[in-house]
Order: sequence, then C-alpha cells, then structure tokens
Amino acid sequence: MLHSKPDTVSAVLARGRLGIPSVVFFVIAAAAPLTVIAGGATTGYAVTGVTGIPVAYLLVAAVLAMFAVGYVAMSRRIVNAGAFYTYVTRGLGRPAGVGAAMVALLAYNAMQIGLYGGAGAVTAAFLNDRYGWQLTWWTCALAVWAIVTVLGVARIDLNGRVLAVVLVAECVVALTFDAIMLTHPADGTVSFDTLAPTHLVAAGIGAALVTAITGFVGFEGTVVFSEETKDPHRTIARATYIAVAVTGLLYGLSAWAMSVATGPDRIVEAARTDGTDLIFNLVSPHLSQSVITVARVLFITSLFAALLSFHHTVARYLFALGRERVLPAVFGRTSRRTGAPKVGSLVQSGLAFAVLVGYALAGADPIVHLFFWITVTGGLGVLILMTLTSAAVIGFFTRTTHTEGPWRSVIAPAAATLALGGILTVTLREFATLLGVAPDSPLRWAFPTAYAAAAVLGIAWALILRTTNPDVYAAIGLGADSDTGPLRASALARQPA
Amino acid sequence: MNTPPSGASNDHAPHLYEHPAPIEPARPVRAVGSAAAHTTTRLADEFFYLAHDDQTGRPRLFESATAHGLAAALLAELYREGRVTFEGSHVRVINTVPPKDWLQHLVLDRLVAEPRHTATRTWLAFLATTACEQVITRMWQLGLLRPEQVGRLWRQRTVYVPTDVNTAAWSWARLSFQLRNYHPLTAFDQTLAGLALHTQLDPILLDGTPLAVRAFLRHQVDQVHPPLRDLLADLGAVVGGAVLSHRTS
Repeated sequence: MLHSKPDTVSAVLARGRLGIPSVVFFVIAAAAPLTVIAGGATTGYAVTGVTGIPVAYLLVAAVLAMFAVGYVAMSRRIVNAGAFYTYVTRGLGRPAGVGAAMVALLAYNAMQIGLYGGAGAVTAAFLNDRYGWQLTWWTCALAVWAIVTVLGVARIDLNGRVLAVVLVAECVVALTFDAIMLTHPADGTVSFDTLAPTHLVAAGIGAALVTAITGFVGFEGTVVFSEETKDPHRTIARATYIAVAVTGLLYGLSAWAMSVATGPDRIVEAARTDGTDLIFNLVSPHLSQSVITVARVLFITSLFAALLSFHHTVARYLFALGRERVLPAVFGRTSRRTGAPKVGSLVQSGLAFAVLVGYALAGADPIVHLFFWITVTGGLGVLILMTLTSAAVIGFFTRTTHTEGPWRSVIAPAAATLALGGILTVTLREFATLLGVAPDSPLRWAFPTAYAAAAVLGIAWALILRTTNPDVYAAIGLGADSDTGPLRASALARQPA
Repeated sequence: MNTPPSGASNDHAPHLYEHPAPIEPARPVRAVGSAAAHTTTRLADEFFYLAHDDQTGRPRLFESATAHGLAAALLAELYREGRVTFEGSHVRVINTVPPKDWLQHLVLDRLVAEPRHTATRTWLAFLATTACEQVITRMWQLGLLRPEQVGRLWRQRTVYVPTDVNTAAWSWARLSFQLRNYHPLTAFDQTLAGLALHTQLDPILLDGTPLAVRAFLRHQVDQVHPPLRDLLADLGAVVGGAVLSHRTS
C-alpha cells in the first residue's frame, strides 16, 4: 500500500491552531508599541536625561534575540513553559524557582499597575482636551481599572483579529510619524547622533537600557502558546524572533526620529516640557487634526491592550502557583462558568485598586511616579528574571541529554547571561538616574530591595515546603501539570518529539 | 444532530472489517426515546448530568472543562468495558471487540484506526472536539434529553433539557449525599467524582461543606484503579492547561 492513511486526529487538532502571525500579534500587543514610543521613550528621555535611548533599544533587541535562542530551545522540553520560574526551577533548582516566581509576581504586577498611571493620565488629557471636561487622571484610571477587572474575571482578552487591526494601525501611525519627523529635522539636517554607539559607554546608559527592556516586556509570552501552534518547533521560535526584531527596529527608529525632529541636544528638554504629548506635538503641524486624534485614540487602546494582557499574565502566574499549592490552593480555582482564574484575577485587581487609591491620595504624578517609575521597576524585575532564566537554560542543558548543538545550549545562553547580567549591574548602579532622583536618595535602593526581599521570601518558603510538604515541593514548576507529578516523576521533562 | 449514528462509516479503514461480528444484531431504526436502555449506567451521561443544571439544562461548568470531562468519561467507559487501559501518559487498546454502545464503539474504532497517537492528552483533546455533541446525541436517542430553543432573537441557541428532573438530579444527589455523610462510594461513583474533581466541579458539588468533606472526596477519588488515576491526572492537566493558554477567539 503506497498511500498512507490520513491522520484524522492531527487534522482535527490542527483546526484553530495558531500560525506565526497570530502569535506575533498576541505578544506585540502586550508590548504595546505606541505606548512604548509615545509614552516610554519620551518619558525615558525626560526622566533619565539620557539621549542614547534609540541605540539602547537596538542593543536590547540584539541581546533579547540572543536570550531567545536558548529560551525557545528549552521551552520545547518543559511543561508549563509560559512561566519564567519553571525554567529557573528546572535549571537552577526548586528554591531558586520559587524565588523567581515571587520576583515574577512582583514584576508583572508592577508592569500592569504602572500602566494604569499612563492610561489614566493620557485618557484624561484626551477627554479634557476634546470635550472640555475636568476629569482627574485617577477617575479615568479607575474607569479603565473597572473594565479590566470585569474582563479579567469574565476571561475575555482581545480577539486576535481586533488585536491585529489595532496593531497594524499602530505600526502605520508610528511609521508615518517617523517619516514626517525625519523629513522635518530640527536644523535642516538629519542627525544620527542619538544612534551613536558611544552612548553605550556614557553615563546613564544603564537607565536607558532598562527603559528599553521595559518596552520589550511581553515578548517572552510566545511560549505560552507553544501547545496551540501548528508547528511548535518552528512557529514559536520564528514568532519570538520576529516580535523582537519588529519591535526593536520600530522603537529604535521612532525614538531616533523624535530626536531628529527636536534636534539631539534639545530632545531631553522637549520631552520634559511636552511629556507624552511630544510625538503628537512634533507631527501635528504637518498632519490633519483627525489623523492626530486617531493616533491619540490608538495610544489609549494600546495602553489598554497592554493592561489587559499583563493582567492575564499575573492571573495565570497565580493560577499555576495555586495549582502547585506553592500559593494557597484557592488560587488554583477557576470561575466555574467562564473558566477564568478567578481568585488570581480578583487579587490582582484588588492590588491595583489599592495602589491607584494610594497614588490618588498622595497626589503623586501619574506619568513620572506611577507610569515610569513603576513600569521600569517591573522592567528591572523582568531583567532579573531573564538573567536567571538564561543561566537556567545552561544549567538545564548540561544536566539533560539532548540533541541541541552547542550554540543553542551553551554559547547563546552564556552570551545572553553575560549581557543581561551586565545590563543589570549598570542598571542597579544607575538606578538614581533612572528614577531621576538624587544619588543619595533612599528610593534608589527601595525598588531593587523589594525584589531581593521577594526572592529571599520565595527561597525560604521553598525550603520550608521541602521539609513540611515534600509532595508540594516535588511539584514546583509543574503548573497545571502538578496533578501528574506524583504519578510520573520521571516524565517531568518533556522529551523532544 | 438528527443523523443516525453511523460509526466511522465515512472513512472505513480495512481493519474495521476485521472486527468479530457484534454479538447483538443490528437494531432497526427506532423513534427518538425508544432506543434500548442499557442495564449499566454510562459515565459520560452521568457526567453530562453533573455538568448541567437538572431543570434548565444550562451548563454549570465552562465549555472546555465540560468537553474534556466528557472526553475523559468516554475513555473511562471503554476502560470499564475492558477495551482500553492507561499506562502512564498513554492509552492502549487491549481488546478490539466492539462494545454494544454505538458511541463507545465509535471511540474504540478511532483509537484502533489511529495507532500512531497514543498520548492520553492527544486523545482527550481530540475527543473533546466532538464529545459534547456525541453524548447529547446518545442521550437524546434514549429520550433522556430534549432540545429547546432559548434566548432572545439575536442570541437564540439550542439547549438540551433533561426530560426527567429526577433522573438528571440523581447522580448529583447521590454523590453529594454520600460524600457529605462520609459514605464510601462505589467504583463507578469514585470515577464520576474523580471527573468532577478534575474539572473543578467539586466546589459546587460540595458547596458549604467543611474541609473534611473535600478531603474525603480526594481520598475516595484516590481509590480508583491505577490506570484511571493516570487518566484523571491527565484530565486535570489538560483542563488546567486550557485555563493557562486561554484566548478569546
């Protein structure tokens, strides 16, 4: 018999599976390009006073592509591949894994809650400007919070097609703006000054680099979909590289174009005066007002997409940890009607509400103190996680028998670990510049210390579990698969297909 | 919905003819509700009752949990009929004699026809795509469910309502009563309780009970045959995985 039997099972299961574009759209939506360009890059210029932001974006894209090599290779061999702490658990041991889980919870919560500052301030400014209302930033932030809370427990995220449309529109707007800014340079000449590699050794580069990393957070989410793609081996790897390359180039180009339009020597000053309006103010003389309005709406929708995406990320982490019983089992419960990780979702929303009320009462600045400070602190947490994960990839591949070449299992992860570790070191040294506070301010140590405390807490908890509850300890890192843990201890690592 | 179950008639693989003839002669086509009732109760039907309201037929669980629960119930039916077993994360056919029940027969034929797939999770995912519709068809044939149009104009849909509330509520009442009073369950009910536990149906089943009852449920579910424990563990992982990688399509 020459013809082979049709594989009905594979054919049925392949229906509705994701291709490369869908995965790219999902993760770039979390990275929210217009938020990074209009919000992150401008505020980065303003707060840090560093002009090397564009080259920092490009460098970080290169480092993250290097990181992705080992990360994607390892993701194929482990269960619960969507969570950083799984990698750390399998590569560096369970105590380190729980430490990483706590850091991750703090980092993603910071990313999400910080974005409320941006969403509130930008939405309020837009509505007040357009309709002459007198809304405060926190009214708008709480309104957005209410929507995210409802969608979170209802388990609704943005539809793939909606995301695709919004994302393409965002990219078109960003590229149009870039073209306009580049064709209208400040002194009549296009300056490449902010792209000069010399910025990479200048003072304050650590602050610029972690600002850049913050802009990419979300790209690591590709592996969440690894079991739902048409071809897990190729789709996830390609989608990850495409996401890093597209966002990296777009961020670098846009941040550079802004500096061209203002002149490299005036970009910091302009960003401090105009804030998140900078990019819109720069192009508005050359475009019709309706285009600017559409762009501003897209800025708000991109913030919203990122908020929802990070909300689901936190809820997922809490759910996985609840299933493992590392956190109370109640976090592993789902809403019976919608299947949402209900408790995790509500706890995240509750935390966000408390922080928003705190900021509103304290009268702090939503853009600098909430949006920028808290999201870059989240970026710092993700940087710590990526450094640990990179080291874990090397640890994992040295302990398991595998068929990967040395490039994926040792060289690229080692290079990424060194590069990320280097960025981490300069970031911590320049954290005062990053926050825009005096070098002797206690705040510069407050944020990094929070991560150290979370990590120590996690490690201590893992050690307690090891003696008091060995079953739970054994299932650390398995996420939803923790049910199968006691039955099949040997099958924890998924063998390469 | 209304097509008579015809097994895998559209893609007969040669091996299907190799089956020994069914012990029972083929039944003539009958009117709805008059198909011969089997003496043993079927796990998937019972799980369907558990996962839906006994009066309105509305789901008590989210869709993917119900679908995967029904898929696991169908595999467990085949296990109870001695046709398949579960070894670690794999399902293995041990007896290809067709079961009397057409749906069990259909599932078994699929398993036999696709020997290249052995992972229990693959089969749970595959069967989940059709399990709900198939179990509804089987129950409708026996007169256990009747279709009803609900919802307003723009959101009309068909809900399958149990024809007899007492039958529908029986498995729920039985499990709930036995567990709340710490009575040991039968092997059948242990499996059913395991399906409920791993699809996260247990909080409503045991609503308002002390923690000891939940612990008793877990203890009872741990008594199921080792192969079924493997199946249930995979069910739990698949349902959890569906929560983690959820996306609105």
